[in-house]
Amino acid sequence: MSATVPQTDLVTVTIDGVDVRVPKGTLLVEAAKAINTDIPVYCYHEKLGPAGLCRICLVEIDGMPKLQIACNTPVADGMKVHTQNPRVDDGRRAILEFFLLNHPLDCPICDKGGECDLQDYAMAWGQGASRMLEPKMPKPKAVDLGPTIVLDEERCIVCQRCVRFDDIITREQSLRTDDRGAHVIIATATGKPYVSDFTGNVTELCPVGALTSKTYRFRSRPWDNHRTTTSCTQCAVGCQMHVDERGDALLRTMSVPEDDALSDSWLCDRGRYNIGFVQDERRLSSPLLKQDGVWVQIDWDDALALWAAELKKAGANAGVIGGGRLLNEEAYLAQHLFRALGIENIDHRVGEQSIVHSDSFANHVDLEHASTIVTIGRPPSELAPVLDLRIRKAVSRNGARLISVGDHYANSFVPETHASTTDELRAALGDAPGKMAVIWDGVMIPGGPELTAPLHAFPADRYVLPETPNGRGADALGMRPHDGALNTRAMLEAARDGKLGVLAILGANPMLRFPDRSLVEAALRATPFVVVTELFMTETAEFANLVLPVCSAFEKSGTTTDFAGDVLPVLGSVRSPEGLLADGDVIVELAEKLGIDLPLPDAVEARVRELVRTPPAAPAAADLIAQPRAAGGPGELRVIAEHTIFTGGGTLAFDPRIAELRTRPRASICPKTAVAIGVEAGDLVNVAAAGGATLRELVVVVDPRIPAGAVALVDGLPGAPLNALGTAAVRVEKSLVSA
Amino acid sequence: MPELITPVLTKGIGELNLRDLAVYAAQGGYEQLRRAIAELSPKAVSDICNGSNLRGRGGAGFPTGRKWSFLPNNGHPRYLVCNCDEAEPGTFKDHMLLEQTPHQIIEGMLIGAYAIGCTHAYIYIRGEFKRGYEIMRDAVRQARDAGFIGEKLFGTDTNLELTIHRGAGAYICGEETGLLNSLEGKRGEPRLKPPFPAVKGLYGEPTVVNNVETLAYLPYIMRNGAEWFAKVGPERSPGYKVVSISGHVAKPGNYEVALGTTIRQLIYDCAGGLRPGRTFMGVQPGGGSSACLFEEHLDVSYDFDSVTKAGSMLGSGAMVVFDDTTDFVKASYALIRFFSHESCGQCTPCREGGHWLQRTLERILDGRGVDSDVDVIKSAAHQLTGLNLCALGDSIEPFLASVITRYEDQFRAYIKRPAQQVAV
Repeated sequence: MSATVPQTDLVTVTIDGVDVRVPKGTLLVEAAKAINTDIPVYCYHEKLGPAGLCRICLVEIDGMPKLQIACNTPVADGMKVHTQNPRVDDGRRAILEFFLLNHPLDCPICDKGGECDLQDYAMAWGQGASRMLEPKMPKPKAVDLGPTIVLDEERCIVCQRCVRFDDIITREQSLRTDDRGAHVIIATATGKPYVSDFTGNVTELCPVGALTSKTYRFRSRPWDNHRTTTSCTQCAVGCQMHVDERGDALLRTMSVPEDDALSDSWLCDRGRYNIGFVQDERRLSSPLLKQDGVWVQIDWDDALALWAAELKKAGANAGVIGGGRLLNEEAYLAQHLFRALGIENIDHRVGEQSIVHSDSFANHVDLEHASTIVTIGRPPSELAPVLDLRIRKAVSRNGARLISVGDHYANSFVPETHASTTDELRAALGDAPGKMAVIWDGVMIPGGPELTAPLHAFPADRYVLPETPNGRGADALGMRPHDGALNTRAMLEAARDGKLGVLAILGANPMLRFPDRSLVEAALRATPFVVVTELFMTETAEFANLVLPVCSAFEKSGTTTDFAGDVLPVLGSVRSPEGLLADGDVIVELAEKLGIDLPLPDAVEARVRELVRTPPAAPAAADLIAQPRAAGGPGELRVIAEHTIFTGGGTLAFDPRIAELRTRPRASICPKTAVAIGVEAGDLVNVAAAGGATLRELVVVVDPRIPAGAVALVDGLPGAPLNALGTAAVRVEKSLVSA
Repeated sequence: MPELITPVLTKGIGELNLRDLAVYAAQGGYEQLRRAIAELSPKAVSDICNGSNLRGRGGAGFPTGRKWSFLPNNGHPRYLVCNCDEAEPGTFKDHMLLEQTPHQIIEGMLIGAYAIGCTHAYIYIRGEFKRGYEIMRDAVRQARDAGFIGEKLFGTDTNLELTIHRGAGAYICGEETGLLNSLEGKRGEPRLKPPFPAVKGLYGEPTVVNNVETLAYLPYIMRNGAEWFAKVGPERSPGYKVVSISGHVAKPGNYEVALGTTIRQLIYDCAGGLRPGRTFMGVQPGGGSSACLFEEHLDVSYDFDSVTKAGSMLGSGAMVVFDDTTDFVKASYALIRFFSHESCGQCTPCREGGHWLQRTLERILDGRGVDSDVDVIKSAAHQLTGLNLCALGDSIEPFLASVITRYEDQFRAYIKRPAQQVAV
């Protein structure tokens, strides 16, 4: 920071006799860090700012009669500060005594024990015994705050970091304090469960053991954990993440406080809590071959030999689908191998998205400094949750304007202007949008180019949010068809027509994600040899001839690419179960079987970095994976595909600990449509496509933000797969089953 | 005796129906508002206030003109908020002024608002003052109908709006930033300072919060000139003050006197002295937050600086008198319980320390005290002082410490109970 500050704006402050030069206005607590002096804090947090509640950060400042709190005192030139002297110690001792009066001191059974600031400071300033003779005040224990968090009100020291996180950072304002004085407790504003996509962060912000995660409670002690730092691979934000493991049991993930560049030190609940699948007993443990409709275990050597033989037989009449869940190196090797075999039909795109990759390298932090942020299509809050916190920051703290375009709104927590027509968008932009950032979900929308035309009048940082964690990497590294080769849709159509001999599906689940499930099913049935690499027996794997069990991202190392084109390290933290290979190793072994030389790791690494930093060629206009969804005839509704962070058939479906977080099937309609159909919020409806497929018993959500004549359905739900309906318009009728 | 009492704000109370605008106007009411707006610049009005050396009557005694001068010239809207959340134990002057003479409060608010360049003033009325609220509501309606509130006042371009807000019953909302939070619809908790309200107050804009009595003096200072006010009483603490006297006196009530009157005069000449046959044990000169003064302090001049010098504070001007029937353990407990109950719970020393003292005193009163309690009480009360986010926490110690030092025997007496009752 100081590097960019003119010398004239620096002031000198003396802390414990040491002179330190810091920018004017720096808070004392931060200035002290510059000389490695630790001032204790509970309520203060770098990202939340000062609150002045806990009073533990007391320091003595020459010329001031009372002790001052370092968290809210900006440095002044010539200020002389004492952070360690008898008077300061007395003040801190007093505060510690107050904290411990009613604190249960149940450290031996507290999850925070060993990484607790109250424990640490009590060791430094606490007294051996309490001078209070009364029994400690009872408060509610093990309060079920919501699907993810348990609260112990007795341990709480009311620093309000959780309340302030939920106010300042997420803007959701669902936590607050209740009652007052010594009876004050943390509560939810509505009395309803604490539901947010970012709840886990409060357990890390909590300086004591008051807020704990249901997935980690009573599971381990911090000193028994072994820590690895990696990049989260649940979406394309690439949040840096600590992974704590004990004896190969994956216990928890934690944010990296220093990660200002990507996560801003936060994690979403999908990234934090969706780790239980790694140890799920339903993980595939051996290659499986389907013989006469029955799965038979075979060994890797036979499996790879079979695949190699089928590839040789099929020649160029083969297709490869997937890659957005692979690491960069794996994706690069895979496309290298298949292209070496003459297979050009390679496409990592399996969802709604046709464009995956913007030509911009604008990064996460740039977004924070935009004056105008435009979201097109499915919102960042669901595709890249932690990125949405930057948008909320830009709007609520930096005064940015937020404009959403198309069928979807950006979020519900900061003010936004919604534009559903060209004129509305032009009006919303005005004459001088300033530094502009445009975030797109890569899906073509009806009338898209015309609708978004006003954006072209201004320069902008462009972002495309991939649907898969490494979509941008796979795209850059060649897992997209060139020169008339078949894209995913064309491959599936060719396969359905019996024109492909082999279909390899690498870490993808088109049966759940591709917009037309019947096409996928027909293609898989018609293809002589389908091989799938997977962790679980997914909807897609069920239709394969050969299923190969592979490692999760916690069990292998390499790099991944975030949406901004940064190459990020992925570091394995746990050993994979016996008998599993990483996708990359599968490719290497397969190449060996086929007698094809693959580049060496160093060459791969260099090539990855080069390709990822190269702006992509614009895809051909016809290269659409999904056509815009049809508008309906009379009595029909157009489908809007909704994305939420808690959908999917793999890691989420096979993580029973967070079952409560999974998005429930729902049908969202506007009030007018609800009246027309004769349903109310909470009713159940059946949604039927013209082709005959029906999703039954979806819960009605009435939302005035849904356009008239449309119904929003959540994509990627195993129990109610939207893609079973295809892309045609639908009829929505009240279910005969009552809610 | 009669010359001691100098009615300014209290003039006409009990004789005239000053709630009626016509009656108030017949006494010269709203003439100074007209003069200010029609004839004087805002600066001229604030210069008059500055020249009077008027100090805030709400508790802190901060010079009003100086408080106004802290408002930054940043072109932002400014707010004036009248603090009518009077809840300090022993204080009942604003309550009376609100119910008896609402128009002088309105006039004072409007003059103050004009002086600082504010076009929208608020009055925050304590929730329990239902009758006062209704009276104020009617008075505002009258003033609006008469053209004193609204747009283009007195044919000028000056607009002044006035909004009444009722509190919901929390002592902490009398603290100015707690009040602002409450006024904004938030939880009534004091804000961290800096920034101070003058820079970032109501709705994040520059704001002045003044007490009812402070603002009510403005029309009289305007009418009689700054000198009239400034030359009364001590030079640095001049003017008149409505003093609420309660407790063990013959005639409790509100007495408006010149600052500089002695405590003895206030108790014996104004409030009729003690009840027959009783002896003086102490007096809280400035409400529940102030330390007790004793016999030797009776001749202390009742003004901001002298009372502070004597080891207490003038505060909101509420004297609570104690005679020899007083049980100081119970008196301390009553106050500690009040502060503990009214603590917002935000900051640690006040939240935890107040409650600790309350429970310890409860046990002592219950006959289960132990010898070490007295020292622990003293130490705990002392160590929670000076560390708090707002003044509430620092209000816990003064009375307790003053009486436990003076009348320790009363505390010890509770502890010398039969041993079997000492079980904890």
